[in-house]
Amino acid sequence: MTHRRVVVVFVSALGAMGAGRVPPAAAQRSGQWTMPAGDYAATRYSTLTQITTANATRLHPVWSFSTGVLAGHEGQPLVVNNTMYVVTPYPNVLYAFDLTREGYPLKWKYRPAVDPNAVGIACCDVINRGAFYAEGRIVYNLLDGHTVAIDATTGKELWNARIADVSQGETTPMAPLVVKNRVLVGASGGEFGIHGWLKALDLATGRPVWTAYTIGPDSEVLVRAGVFRPFYGGGTDLALTSWPQEVWKNGGGPVWGWLSYDPSLDLVYYGVGNPAPYNPEQRPGDNKWTASVLARRPADGALVWAYQFTPHDSWDYDATAEMILADLTIGGRLRRVLVHFDKNGFAYTLDRATGEVLVARPFVDVNWAKGVDLATGRPVLDSTRLTGASRGNVKDVCPTLEGGKSPASPAAYSPRTGLFYVPTNNMCMDYQAVPATRIAGTPFIGANTPYHAGRGGHLGAFIAWDAGVGRKVWEIREKYPVWSGALTTAGDVVLYGTLDGWLKAANARTGTVLWKFKVGSGVVANPITYAGPDGKQYVAVYAGIGGDWFLLAGDVRSDDPADVRPPADFMPDIARHTSQGGIVWIFGL
Amino acid sequence: MASRPLVRVTAPIALLLLGVGCRERRSVPPAGGYEEHLSAGGLAPPTAKLRNPHARDKRSAADGATLFTAMNCDGCHGGGGAGWVGPSLADGRWRYGGTDGALFQSIFDGRPHGMPAFGGILSPDAIWKLVTYVQSLEPPADVPTERWP
Repeated sequence: MTHRRVVVVFVSALGAMGAGRVPPAAAQRSGQWTMPAGDYAATRYSTLTQITTANATRLHPVWSFSTGVLAGHEGQPLVVNNTMYVVTPYPNVLYAFDLTREGYPLKWKYRPAVDPNAVGIACCDVINRGAFYAEGRIVYNLLDGHTVAIDATTGKELWNARIADVSQGETTPMAPLVVKNRVLVGASGGEFGIHGWLKALDLATGRPVWTAYTIGPDSEVLVRAGVFRPFYGGGTDLALTSWPQEVWKNGGGPVWGWLSYDPSLDLVYYGVGNPAPYNPEQRPGDNKWTASVLARRPADGALVWAYQFTPHDSWDYDATAEMILADLTIGGRLRRVLVHFDKNGFAYTLDRATGEVLVARPFVDVNWAKGVDLATGRPVLDSTRLTGASRGNVKDVCPTLEGGKSPASPAAYSPRTGLFYVPTNNMCMDYQAVPATRIAGTPFIGANTPYHAGRGGHLGAFIAWDAGVGRKVWEIREKYPVWSGALTTAGDVVLYGTLDGWLKAANARTGTVLWKFKVGSGVVANPITYAGPDGKQYVAVYAGIGGDWFLLAGDVRSDDPADVRPPADFMPDIARHTSQGGIVWIFGL
Repeated sequence: MASRPLVRVTAPIALLLLGVGCRERRSVPPAGGYEEHLSAGGLAPPTAKLRNPHARDKRSAADGATLFTAMNCDGCHGGGGAGWVGPSLADGRWRYGGTDGALFQSIFDGRPHGMPAFGGILSPDAIWKLVTYVQSLEPPADVPTERWP
């Protein structure tokens, strides 16, 4: 056993050296967690080795803290300089815990003014996906369209920049990514007919540097001749001509997921959300660049390549899930790839320099498409699953618009095992589109989409995926959809949470569950790991069911006597196991 | 972003109702001062005395259902008003009171946490039809207790 592990370490170390293009941040090596995914490559992999498959059974809680907020606790804490930073859902309080003192008392807390009207404009609960640490600042978004930079030592607000317009349906729960001196931020609002964008702010001042729309003429999408070289097809004004006139102006294309960055190519990668409205007959055409991945230069925002996963999306298949950067051997060649688990149910392995699709295979049951044509990059559609107001109620489309995997629940990648660890949903939907009218600041949707369990009856699974060939290696079935993110470590342990409130640790090579603990509310957050001031390895995660489950399972609420809802018909017993609640947990050996 | 299983109650859009609305916009004075709702218990606000001219009229409730979809009310309150981002309107319980006048004012003036003020784009008559629809929603028989086998 020991002997075998030594061999594995040797091989993966060689791989890492050969690759070497996405080195783990120095901060990561020192046991800190300074950005949402732990590193720019979005791996959610930690090099810490104290927690192993042999001792994970000894994990136990060492500390917990109620955030005082009940909404869905997505995202993850940061740990920098022996301080843990926690951003709550609306009203977006920022807590700074002193990890060097007993009981981890607060150093400070920052309580921003946030417009309560944003609560009604947030499509899917008032969540926040976390903060980013850069140059002594904690940078994060408030729900109401502002980005703030807070002095990480004193808690003082350094700047507060308005980036989005709530009256137009824009809200800002996403986590920023800071590259060099650029703070990259986007807005939600695919359900409100926004005109989606990514902005770069100056890290020192918060002033806007550039704005890159996801839809519209080349001048707004920042497409420049000679710079933009998509692998599949090309041309000018693609994000304008793939829409009907005027319709693109309210076509959605929000940016609310995760960003990653390759320093050697100097490219930022991110996914774009759904086109609006959900009734596709109101927007004939491919609707670029919705449901796509975009690669931009951080300095000036110029688009270098783009690839659309779901042209003319007719199922609300946002592509906002993380783009994980890894170096994999494919067909005997070491390739610099980007791996993406799309809401549409396909796992994509792309060449991240060019946007070429190398592998595209379903990681859950998929029936809206029969596959992806690697020659054209386009999905091969099943015409019986096309939707639209004239098509009535289209039955049994898999996966649902929650996604084969939720973009809110990022996967992890271990260079030691070469595997990706993916939270998944096993659900299908009926999709009845209806015409929708846009009224600014109200939802712009137009579909009725009830869910049911997929094959096997379980609603979710946590899986390991080989992205070199496109193959599931193991799975842990879960009764409920898996809506937490994943964490994996050099101890070959993988951690994730469940909707019914368990945090679980499993063997990253076999999928054997080693340990679990009931954390008090369903987990829709992402576990992290860090080295404490005592040199020991810890795991931290939020409990606090919410996000879409605040809407879909309204009976997990108990905070409003004037709002009492029946259970979800496809998941009638989740409230038996969890209610809302926001708790920060820390576990140790 | 994510999801929304909403049950569309009626066939789409009767914008004619809006046209009528614009002409009639000022035929009923705006509902009473907002601060008066801030007192806990005690005096009923003056708007509570307003009477719904369409009370229990099925045709008006059906028109209200059409408006409920056309004005994207279901986008926040869910199909059939069963609750989504916004609170349930079908559980027989009310954050700001369930009288004719209180419901009218919620729609006309809006409410905190994101309820838009529709008084600027809907006529009082159209708002009363929405009130009629919301009042027609039958609360489930046993709301308070949820029990598992």
